[in-house]
Amino acid sequence: MRSAWGFQRSGLGSLIAMGLLVTAVCGSANADEQAVTALLKPLDLVGYRAGTKPPDFGGLTSDARQLSMTKLRGKVVIVNFWASWCHECRPEMPALQQLHREFASRGLAVIGINAREETAVIRHYAKELGLTFPLILDPDGKINTLYGVVGLPATFVIGRDGRAVAFGIGSREWAGAPARALIEALLAEPARRAGAL
Amino acid sequence: MARKADYKRFEALGIQNLAASANLTFSQQTFAESLKLPFPVLSDFPERKVMRSYGVLNEKTMIANRSFFLIDPQGILRKKWIIENGPTTVVYSETLLRDIREIVGKR
Repeated sequence: MRSAWGFQRSGLGSLIAMGLLVTAVCGSANADEQAVTALLKPLDLVGYRAGTKPPDFGGLTSDARQLSMTKLRGKVVIVNFWASWCHECRPEMPALQQLHREFASRGLAVIGINAREETAVIRHYAKELGLTFPLILDPDGKINTLYGVVGLPATFVIGRDGRAVAFGIGSREWAGAPARALIEALLAEPARRAGAL
Repeated sequence: MARKADYKRFEALGIQNLAASANLTFSQQTFAESLKLPFPVLSDFPERKVMRSYGVLNEKTMIANRSFFLIDPQGILRKKWIIENGPTTVVYSETLLRDIREIVGKR
């Protein structure tokens, strides 16, 4: 059936919306990457296409140190976006702290990125929960925007070679066996590989 | 979010929704997954060629003014909606659907 503007049922017109948001190469996945991909499902994480590089970020931590992605090169990085008012974020924090204690010496960096809160609030939260991994301030939300974070918590996993491995929106069991298996697999990867970013 | 909720209503009229922004594909993927968007989100970063060619790029902020464009199957632009005070204005799907029905000639 044809409509007045030559529109067929099977033919699609398109509506393009712009400004809905206020504001990506390497070879095929190798065996390591395929093994890692299989470990994402139990955690309900979304895997990135091979060769995806996470945006660089940097900022001041709650204890006034400067931290940037370049300082994390060669490490497996878990970047967790959080806020003190986020109820779903709270149960993740002790689990992330546990991963930090257990795996930091083997090359895991757990980084928290706060969403637009005052340093005093962040320090109080860290003290209350006994958090010792770096918590980066993001007073104007620039890092949150750079990563497209519109809901908390949001967590990103980065490999030793700097590639974006996966992300998850909402809380996860970061101290559970599936998360440990993923971290172990990523820690076992070399920092530099053929086709590394 | 309105376009997500009403996605099927647009689809029933033969409309494929596409969203475009000047964000990195990386952040768009997070955004789309967070909202479980049922339609593609396209990145016009870094050149912003599409936004400029559609005349909606704010050259100061390098962000597009909030806008909608209806393109027919022959690639002809049939209607555009440029939203004033875009960030704070709610654009109800019904506003778009009413105009689209009129143009498409469907009820």
